Amino acid sequence: MSHLLDRLNFLQSKELEQFSNGHGQVTRENRDWEDTYRNRWRHDKVVRSTHGVNCTGSCSWKIYVKSGIVTWETQQTDYPRTRPDLPNHEPRGCARGASYSWYLYSANRVKNPLVRGKLMRVWRRMRETMGPIEAWTALQDDPILRASYVETRGKGGFVRATWDEATEITAAANAYTAKTYGPDRVFGFSPIPAMSMVSYAAGSRYLSLLGGVCMSFYDWYCDLPPASPMTWGEQTDVPESADWYNAGYLLLWGSNVPQTRTPDAHFYTEARYRGTKSAVICPDYSEAAKFGDVWLNAKQGTDAALAMAFGHVILREFHLDHQAEYFEEYTRKYSDFPMLVKLEEKGGSLIPGRFLRADDLDGKLGEENNPEWKTVALDEVSGELVAPNGSIGYRWGEDGEWNLEEKAAEAETKLNMSLVLDGDHDEVAGVDFPYFGGVATEHFSTGDERPNVLTRNIPVKVIETADGPVKVATVFDLFCANYGLDRGLGGDWVAKDYGDDVPGTPAWAEKITGVSADKITHVAREFAQNAEKTNGKSMIIIGAAMNHWYHMDMNYRGVINMLVMCGCVGQSGGGWAHYVGQEKLRPQTGWLPLAFGLDWGRPPRQMNSTSAWYAHTDQWRYETLEADEILSPTAPEGDWDINMIDYNIRAERMGWLPSAPQLKTNPLEVARKAKASKKEAAAYVADQLKSGKLEMSCEDPDAPENWPRNLFVWRSNLLGSSGKGHEYFLKHLLGTDHGVMGKDLGEEGRQLPKEAKWHEDAPRGKLDLLVTIDFRMSTTAVYSDIVLPTASWYEKNDLNTSDMHPFIHPLQAAVDPAYESKSDWEIFKAIAKKLQEIVPGYLGEETDLVAMPILHDTPGELAQDVVMDWKKDECDLIPGKTAPNFITVERDYGAIYDRFVALGPLMDKLGNGGKGIGWKTKHEVQHLRELNGVWEDGPAKGCAKIETDIDAAEVVLMLAPETNGEVAVKAWSALSEATGLDHTHLAKPKEDEKIRFRDIAAQPRKIISSPTWSGIESEEVCYNAGYTNVHELIPWRTLTGRQQLYQDHLWMRAFGEGFMSYRPPVDLKTVNPEVQDAEDTLVLNFITPHQKWGIHSTYSDNLLMLTLNRGGPVIWISENDAKTAGIVDNDWVELYNTNGALTARAVVSQRMKDGTTFMYHAQEKIVNTPGSEKTGNRGGIHNSVTRTTLKPTHMIGGYAQQSYGFNYYGTVGANRDEFVVVRKMRKVDWLDQPADNKESAQ
Amino acid sequence: MDRTLKSISLLLSYPTRELQEAMPEIGGVLASDSRLTAAMRRDLRPLVEAIQGGDIFELEEQYVMLFDRSRTLSLNLFEHVHGESRDRGGAMVSLIETYRDAGFEPVTSELPDHLPVLLEFLSTRPFAEVQDTLADAAHILDALRERLVRRESLYVSAFAALSQLAGVTADSAAVAELLEEPEVDPDDLEALDAVWEESEVRFGPDPNAGCPQVRDMLSKMDEPTNPAPNVAAE
Repeated sequence: MSHLLDRLNFLQSKELEQFSNGHGQVTRENRDWEDTYRNRWRHDKVVRSTHGVNCTGSCSWKIYVKSGIVTWETQQTDYPRTRPDLPNHEPRGCARGASYSWYLYSANRVKNPLVRGKLMRVWRRMRETMGPIEAWTALQDDPILRASYVETRGKGGFVRATWDEATEITAAANAYTAKTYGPDRVFGFSPIPAMSMVSYAAGSRYLSLLGGVCMSFYDWYCDLPPASPMTWGEQTDVPESADWYNAGYLLLWGSNVPQTRTPDAHFYTEARYRGTKSAVICPDYSEAAKFGDVWLNAKQGTDAALAMAFGHVILREFHLDHQAEYFEEYTRKYSDFPMLVKLEEKGGSLIPGRFLRADDLDGKLGEENNPEWKTVALDEVSGELVAPNGSIGYRWGEDGEWNLEEKAAEAETKLNMSLVLDGDHDEVAGVDFPYFGGVATEHFSTGDERPNVLTRNIPVKVIETADGPVKVATVFDLFCANYGLDRGLGGDWVAKDYGDDVPGTPAWAEKITGVSADKITHVAREFAQNAEKTNGKSMIIIGAAMNHWYHMDMNYRGVINMLVMCGCVGQSGGGWAHYVGQEKLRPQTGWLPLAFGLDWGRPPRQMNSTSAWYAHTDQWRYETLEADEILSPTAPEGDWDINMIDYNIRAERMGWLPSAPQLKTNPLEVARKAKASKKEAAAYVADQLKSGKLEMSCEDPDAPENWPRNLFVWRSNLLGSSGKGHEYFLKHLLGTDHGVMGKDLGEEGRQLPKEAKWHEDAPRGKLDLLVTIDFRMSTTAVYSDIVLPTASWYEKNDLNTSDMHPFIHPLQAAVDPAYESKSDWEIFKAIAKKLQEIVPGYLGEETDLVAMPILHDTPGELAQDVVMDWKKDECDLIPGKTAPNFITVERDYGAIYDRFVALGPLMDKLGNGGKGIGWKTKHEVQHLRELNGVWEDGPAKGCAKIETDIDAAEVVLMLAPETNGEVAVKAWSALSEATGLDHTHLAKPKEDEKIRFRDIAAQPRKIISSPTWSGIESEEVCYNAGYTNVHELIPWRTLTGRQQLYQDHLWMRAFGEGFMSYRPPVDLKTVNPEVQDAEDTLVLNFITPHQKWGIHSTYSDNLLMLTLNRGGPVIWISENDAKTAGIVDNDWVELYNTNGALTARAVVSQRMKDGTTFMYHAQEKIVNTPGSEKTGNRGGIHNSVTRTTLKPTHMIGGYAQQSYGFNYYGTVGANRDEFVVVRKMRKVDWLDQPADNKESAQ
Repeated sequence: MDRTLKSISLLLSYPTRELQEAMPEIGGVLASDSRLTAAMRRDLRPLVEAIQGGDIFELEEQYVMLFDRSRTLSLNLFEHVHGESRDRGGAMVSLIETYRDAGFEPVTSELPDHLPVLLEFLSTRPFAEVQDTLADAAHILDALRERLVRRESLYVSAFAALSQLAGVTADSAAVAELLEEPEVDPDDLEALDAVWEESEVRFGPDPNAGCPQVRDMLSKMDEPTNPAPNVAAE
C-alpha cells in the first residue's frame, strides 16, 4: 500500500506540531494501513491453559482466541517470582507445546463417536427388536457375531455414531458384564492423573461407582522405582528443578535434561554459571553429555557396577580412612546403618538374616506394642541394646514415639554404627555374600570366573535371645564388606587398593563398565568432597533409562546408597532427583475421594497393571526367565523353583498384591450367598476359599470367567506407547492379527507353571469391548471397538501439577470442544447417565464384595513379619492378615449418575486423609455445598453438586491440604499426634489461604506445605524430598523408620538383594536360531529413550514434529554396527525377535555406542510404517519386540514399606534387557491395499 | 438457492438413511443442471446410485475411511493450504467472518472450512461469487479429485462437477505442488523420500561466495590463536 494519493509530497501542513525540541512530530495523515498489522495479531481473548500430557513440564501457556477459533499460543511469563539469588522459573514451555494449537484442528482429530462398522450393523439390527442389555447379551451369546467384530480390530471399518448410541452400547456392555461375570471384569486404564486430574477422575469415578477396576500406570510404565518404596517407604518424592541451582555437584545419570526436560533445563545451565560442577553418565553422546565437566560413557545396563565403585571410594575416603563428621552424624540418625542384623547359619556358613527385633530378646526391651516390628541397635550411652524411636512398631497402636529423636524408651541414645573396634566385637566371622558378576550373558560377559558366593570377614557380637545365642552385626559393617572394603579384619574379597580387581573396586568396575578407574575415583571423590563441605549439596538427576532394566533396583539402590552415605537426602541442593512419569499429584488427598468415589463407597478396586497385563495378555505363557536364573546362591531353603506367574499367584493369595478379577465367581453373587449364610462376609469367603469352593481368579487367567471383558482406555495410548508385549496384546487380549513368532511353554516343552492352570489352547480375543477416549486416532483407537472424541487441552477445564515446580495451574476451555467432542468429565457423565437409564429391572441396589490387599500406610502393614502361605497350611487364612481382606461395598446401579454428580455422604461420616493420617472434613464439605450448590432431592439429596469439570476441580482444591491452608493445619496436627512433635508451624502462616479454580486461572499458585509430601514450600528453601524427615524428625515410612539400605524380607534375601550389588542384565532368550535368519548377524541391545519430537510419549504424529525428525519411525545405530550389516543412513531396516518385528529408518550416528540401538518411545504405527517382511503385518511399534517379565521381589507385601499401594509398589514393566536382530530391508511394502484384498491375494 | 451446489454439498456429507431417501431428488437436480456438460451429468449418476442403493454401513465405513481418516483427503480445505501451521487459525477466522457478514451463523460442529459447509454457503450466493470462490480453491479440488482417482472412488465425479462449475482450469503447477505434498497414507514412495531428505547443514554465510570480508574473517578464524589444550594426559 503506497497511499500515494493520501500523502503530501511537496507541501507540509502548517498545523503540524512539534515536540521534544523538534525531534518528534505529530502527523495527521491516514494511518488505516496499520490496521492490516493490527488485525493480523488481533484476538478476542487470551486464556490460560497447558498441555495435559504425560510430561512433567506443566507449563503455563497463553492461548489466543479469535472468533471462537484458537489462533496461536505463547508461553506465559507470570509465574510467581522466586526469592533473591534464585533464578525465576520462566521461561517454561518447549517447541512441542508451541506446536499444539496447530494440532487442534488437525485432520487427525477424531471428530465423531466412531463404532466398528461390523459391530454397529449387528447392534442396530438387534436393537430393532430388543432393549440395549438384551441386545448386548444376544450378541455375546453368539460366537459368530462376536467374532465378526473382534477379529476385525485394527483393520479399519469405522462408522460414525451418535453420542446416544455409542454410550448406550458401552453402558449395556458394562451392565451385562457386571451382572454376568462381575463388575471387576470392567477395566479402565488411564495414566498420570497429575497432568489432568479431573479428566482422570471422570473415568475412575465412574469405574469405582460401578465396581470396575482402575489399572495402575506408574509401575506398568516402569517409571516407578521400587527402590524408593524399599528405601523410604515413599512412592517417589524429588526436589523441584529450581533446587538444581542450589547444588554444588550435579551428577546426571541416564537423564537427558536438555532433551526431555526442556522447560527446566535452564536451571541446569544457570547452576553451571553459578559454578556447580557436573558429571554426566550415559552410554551415548547425549544432549546432556555436552553439559558435563566430565562424561562417563558406561556400557548400558552396567550402572550398578559403576555405583558400587563410587560407593567403594566414598566409604574408603569419607567413612573409613577419614570419617567425615557430617556423614557420620547423618547416617547414624537418618539411616539404618546402626541397626543390628541377625546372622543365620546356612550349610555351615553365615548369611545376613533378619533385623534383630525387640521381640527376639527376653523381656522384649519392655516393648509391649508391636515388639516384632521394632528394630534394635547398640547404644553407646548406656552400652545396652535399645529399640530406638521411629521404627514402624511405634507408628501403629501408640502415639508420640514415632519420631527420629535420638531416643529409646524416653532415654537419650547415641547408636553405635560399627563394631569394628576391638572392644566392640566378640569375634570376627566369615559371612557369605552372593556375587552375580560371573553370570552375565555373552553381551555383558567380562570373562569373570569368580565364585558366586564371596565370604568376607565381619565383626560380630554374640547376644542372648529368647532362642539362645545369636551372632549380630551392624548394617554398616555388613554394608562395607558388601562393597569389598578391607578394614584390617583379614579374609578374602576385600581390597585396600582401588587398583585391586576385587568386586566393588574402581578397577573391577572399569572392566564391566568401560569407564576408567581413574575417572570413577575422581568423580566419587569430588561428589563426596562437595557433600562434606556443603552438608549434603550433591545431587543426582536420574533418568528412567536406569529404571527400565530388569535389575533396576540395583542401579537405583546403588545411587541412593551414595546419597545416603554423603548425607544428601533431605538437604536443599542435594538428593535423588528421579523425574519420570509425572508422579506428583500435589493435591492428592483432595483428589482421591473424587477420583475413586470414596465419598460413596470404600474401598475402590485398584490393580497393578504389570501383573494384570502379564496374565491377561498371556505373556506368562511365553516366560523363559526361570527363577533359578535370578535366585541367590545364598537363598534360604524354600520352594523357589516355580514360574514367575506362580510367584504372582502366591503374592495375590497372601494379600500382597491386588487381584483383577478377584474371584472366579461373580462378587455380587458371592456377597448374596454370604448374606444368606448369615456369616460375616470375610469369614464366609475365607471358609469357601479354604474348602476350595471359591477360587481366586489369578489361579486360572485363561478361564473365560476370569477374562477382563470391557476395557476403557482414556488419556492414554496403551497399545501404541506403553504396551510392553504389544503383539501379545493383539494376539490374546484383542484376538486380531499379530506378529508373535515365539512358541509358548507348552509348545516348547518347558516347565509349566505349578500354581497357574495351563490350557493347551490359549484364548484369543478375551475382550468383549474396547472403548478408547481420545482426541486423535491413536494406535489404541485404531484397535478399538468404540472411539469417543474427547476435548483437547484447550477445550476443557482441569487441574495440572508437576514434580518439577511447586505450582498448581489450570487447563481451561479457551474454545468449545471441536466437532462432536466432549470433555472426559462429560463423556463419563453421559455413560453413567445411560447406565442409570437402562439398568432398572436388571441391576439395582447390589452388595459387592471387594478383595483388598494389605496396604502400606495402614495398620495392616504390620501383617506378616514372617512369610506363611495359608494354602500350604503354614497358617490359617485370616482375611487382612494372611490373605486379602474381603469387604462389602453397597452399589446402586440405578443411581450411578446421581452419585457421580454429587459429593457423597462418607466425607462427612468418615473424613479424609492419606499416607497414614486422617482428619475430619465436615467443614470443607459444607463449604462445597455453599460453593457448588446442593441437590434438592433424589438419591443424592443434601449433597454438594459436582456437575461440571470446574465443580470437580473445586472439590479437589477444597479438600486438599496443599490448596486449603485450614486442611493443611489439620493434617499437620494429625501427624503431630503420631510423632509427638509439633509440625503445625509449617502451615499455620497459610491457614486462611484457600485456593480456588478462578485463582489459578488468574495466576499459577504455589501450593501449601502438607504432610502428604516430605518437602516444604517456603521462602527459605526450594522443595526437596526428605526435608521434613531430616528437619522435622518425621520417620521415613519404613520398617526401621530410617532410610533403609538393608532389606531383610525373606524374598529379598532369597533373590540376593538384601544389599545392593551389580547384577548383569538377564537373558530373555528372544533371539534364537529358530527365529533368526542365518544371514542376519547383527544383534543389538534394544533401548527406548524419550524423544525430542513428541511431547513425552504423546502425539508423535504431529506433522511439524515429524518434519523436524525423519517423518516416521526411526532407530539409531552406531557407524560400526551399521557397517557390519551393510546399512547406510536413512535405509529402511527391520528389527525382530520372537516377540515380533518392527520397521523403521536407520539413523546412523557417532552418538551411539556399539552394541546398542535406540528407538524413541511411542512412535506411532499409524504414521509411515511399512510392512514387516518377517511377520507379513504392518511393522510394529517399539513394544513389538518387547515382552514384560515379572520380578518376585516386587510382589512382596504385608511387610511395612514393602506393602502394596496403588502405583506405590508392585511389579514393574521392565524392557531394556531385550535384544533384537537388525537387518536392512530388502523390499519396502506399504500394505496399502485393504486387509481383505491382501488376504485373498495370498 | 443454487440447488446444484446444495446437492453436491449433500453428496459430500456423511451418508445417512435420510440422505439415501433424498437421492432420487438430488439425482434429479444434478441431471437437469445445464451448467454441467452432458458427460458430467452422466458421470455423476453412478455416485448418486451408489449412495442411493448401497448398504448404509458400507457407505459409512467408506466415507469415514476416505474423509475422516485420510489426511490427504480431508474435506477441511485449509488442511491442504495451511496444514498444521499457525496461519490456519487466522484463515478460519476470516472464513467465519465471511459467513457472518453474509448474515449466517454457523450452527454445525464442523469447522468453517469443511467443504459441504462452504458449498451450502455458496448455494446462497450469486453465481459469479461462487465461481470466484471455487476458482480460488480449484487446485485443491483438483488435487482431491486426482487422489480419489487413484483410489478408484466414485466420489471423483463430485469434485469434477465442482471444477466444471468453477469454469476455470486449475493452475496445473499448483495442483502438482499439492500432489507432491507428503501422503500420510503411503501411496507415493518418492514423494515421501523427498519430504524426508534433509538439507545440508551450513554454518554462517557461504565462505566461497558473496562478501569477501566474510570470507577473510572466516579464514582468519581458522587460524588458532591459542594452542589446543593438551588432552594427551587423559
